Amino acid sequence: MYAAATGKAKPVEEEVITEENVYSRPDETIAFFPGQVLKDGYVSTFILLACVVLSYAAPAPLSEPADTATVDYVPRPEWFFFFYEQMLMFFPGYALISFGAVVVPTVFIVLLFAVPWLDRSPQHYNSISRPFASVLGILVLIIVILNMLLAVSRIINFPEA
Amino acid sequence: MAELQRDPITRSDFLGFGVLGAIMGAILTIPPVAFVLSPVIKTNILGQSDVDPGWVEVGSVAEVKENEPSVFQIEFPIDQAYGTKHIQEEVPESPRSLERFTIRNAVWVSWKAPIKTQGRQGSGGDELAAAERPAILDQKTEGFTQSEREEIMSKLNVLSNSCAHLGCPVRWFPDQKLFLCPCHGGLYDINGGYVGGPPPRGMYRYTQAEVREDGKLYVKHEYDAGPEHREKGPQEPYVV
Amino acid sequence: MIGRMRTQTTEASKFLVDWMEHRTGIVTIMEHFLYEPVPKRGAWLYTLGSAVLFTITLQFLTGILLLFYYVPTTDHAWNSVSYIMTEAYFGQLIRGIHYWSANFLMAVIGLHMGQVFFSGGYKAPRELNWVVGVILLLLVIGLAFTGYLLRWDQDGFWASVVGMKIGSYSPFVGAYTINFLMGGDVAGPGTLSRFFALHVWLLPAAIAPLIGVHLYLLRRHGVFGSEFEYTERLAKLHERQRLEEYADYELDDDDENGRDGGGSRRE
Repeated sequence: MYAAATGKAKPVEEEVITEENVYSRPDETIAFFPGQVLKDGYVSTFILLACVVLSYAAPAPLSEPADTATVDYVPRPEWFFFFYEQMLMFFPGYALISFGAVVVPTVFIVLLFAVPWLDRSPQHYNSISRPFASVLGILVLIIVILNMLLAVSRIINFPEA
Repeated sequence: MAELQRDPITRSDFLGFGVLGAIMGAILTIPPVAFVLSPVIKTNILGQSDVDPGWVEVGSVAEVKENEPSVFQIEFPIDQAYGTKHIQEEVPESPRSLERFTIRNAVWVSWKAPIKTQGRQGSGGDELAAAERPAILDQKTEGFTQSEREEIMSKLNVLSNSCAHLGCPVRWFPDQKLFLCPCHGGLYDINGGYVGGPPPRGMYRYTQAEVREDGKLYVKHEYDAGPEHREKGPQEPYVV
Repeated sequence: MIGRMRTQTTEASKFLVDWMEHRTGIVTIMEHFLYEPVPKRGAWLYTLGSAVLFTITLQFLTGILLLFYYVPTTDHAWNSVSYIMTEAYFGQLIRGIHYWSANFLMAVIGLHMGQVFFSGGYKAPRELNWVVGVILLLLVIGLAFTGYLLRWDQDGFWASVVGMKIGSYSPFVGAYTINFLMGGDVAGPGTLSRFFALHVWLLPAAIAPLIGVHLYLLRRHGVFGSEFEYTERLAKLHERQRLEEYADYELDDDDENGRDGGGSRRE
């Protein structure tokens, strides 16, 4: 069963595609081992090496012990929360804080869960043949990246007391 | 593999599953949930606080400068988890730490600047006159009479450093004469009134504060927040 | 002599393999696992998913190691992390890998998700794998949030304060949310214990089986996306089915919708 699926010889003549044979001739395949495992191994090793180098070049930070009574500490989130933190600046006042900080992300996550049911057209796989989804995805990316940049510039330009 | 064998579920089977399910469900859901949620039950439903309700000394009011808030760092004893007082003191002769667990607070104390015109939301805050330091403080720094203490208290702002937006520690910028929250740029004036940025209200004030004969300021861990201050909004400072 | 030793060794190992196979069936499982055909095109793209798996494995491994020295109490947490960083052999490396692979993890998850989204890899029959993936993303975000506080330093503490206070703005349940997270009404010993329990047991225990489900579903349906040739064949099939459906409509008024009626109509 597994050997049969290595469709290396591609058909030349036009065949009638039915429900049964649609999945029978995939693109050229390789065995998971060693081909894919080796590639995964390259990436994993690179990441591990990067971690090792970084742990000595830029050691994991440990700032002063926590103090709730500080007045000169500037709290900053981790970089992957930058865009979210920046978003909070755009929602002042009670109603808007809940809206921007809790309601909007919740709705976004619900939409994320619903993606497979929002975009069900089975024949449109690549991004160009489903422009609406792709544009939406790119828009989200742009918003995230712009917010991150804003957060970075805000952090760099923070006034000295 | 053998053929699947599907026996019918009889009435007694069904009943058995029901009884077992009820017993298992009751024991394995209610106690664990109550166990994990016990702080929520204690604070939100029974209204208890982890913070000691007593007075804590802040500092001498004479040290508070004119036109500039002064910061004092204080500690409230707390009873939370293994830091609870009676657990700490259970075996007094044991060499374990008898240290009282505390929550540290930074208190901004300033003299009230009279409000010339009340600001509206979005107008950039109140217009303020210069802050007024009571003249009595130039003559003595302790041994105040009752009326003098009342006069001092009526002119004093006792503010928490916890930003009303998301709780970051606010700081004073002398050039702009404003408190700034370093997280999202909330701005407050010297009275703690809202000036700009995302915070929904002004800074939290300590509602229980008093000056005693020794010229020192004392506070309790209570703020102008919560249900009885609904007009300022439902948020409490939490955290500190 | 050497030849005889070699044959004996191979025979012994063959016996061992057969023995294990008979008792556990492990050899067949391994063969199915290792020799499954995967698409040659896009193999480098698919390393993103395995990079996520690898970084999470690093998290588990180094996280367990850090627990040998870490103490989750407010009076000792910072000291124990400091001890790991300065005194313990390779402490800086172990904590460094935990820290940096967490950062890589977030980056690689973003890329992995983008790749699946833009190649349409979430479409039928892989919807549930996407759903499991989003749950995994949320769990990882939870782990990132709870892990930051455990150092009990200024950075982690204040970031968590902001995070918890965001929770207090949840509509209707705000006060309950923040008091649940803090384990009381101020941030203190209870808070650290809670975050420790979440970070070290609850969330990892939730994430591990879900990773298994994610991989099982992946293996069940295979990797898929626009870079894969099935796409063209599927498109051809659906085009043909659509045409046949139209032909059916013209022949009689039988209102039988095709399997992909919804999708075809949308476009």
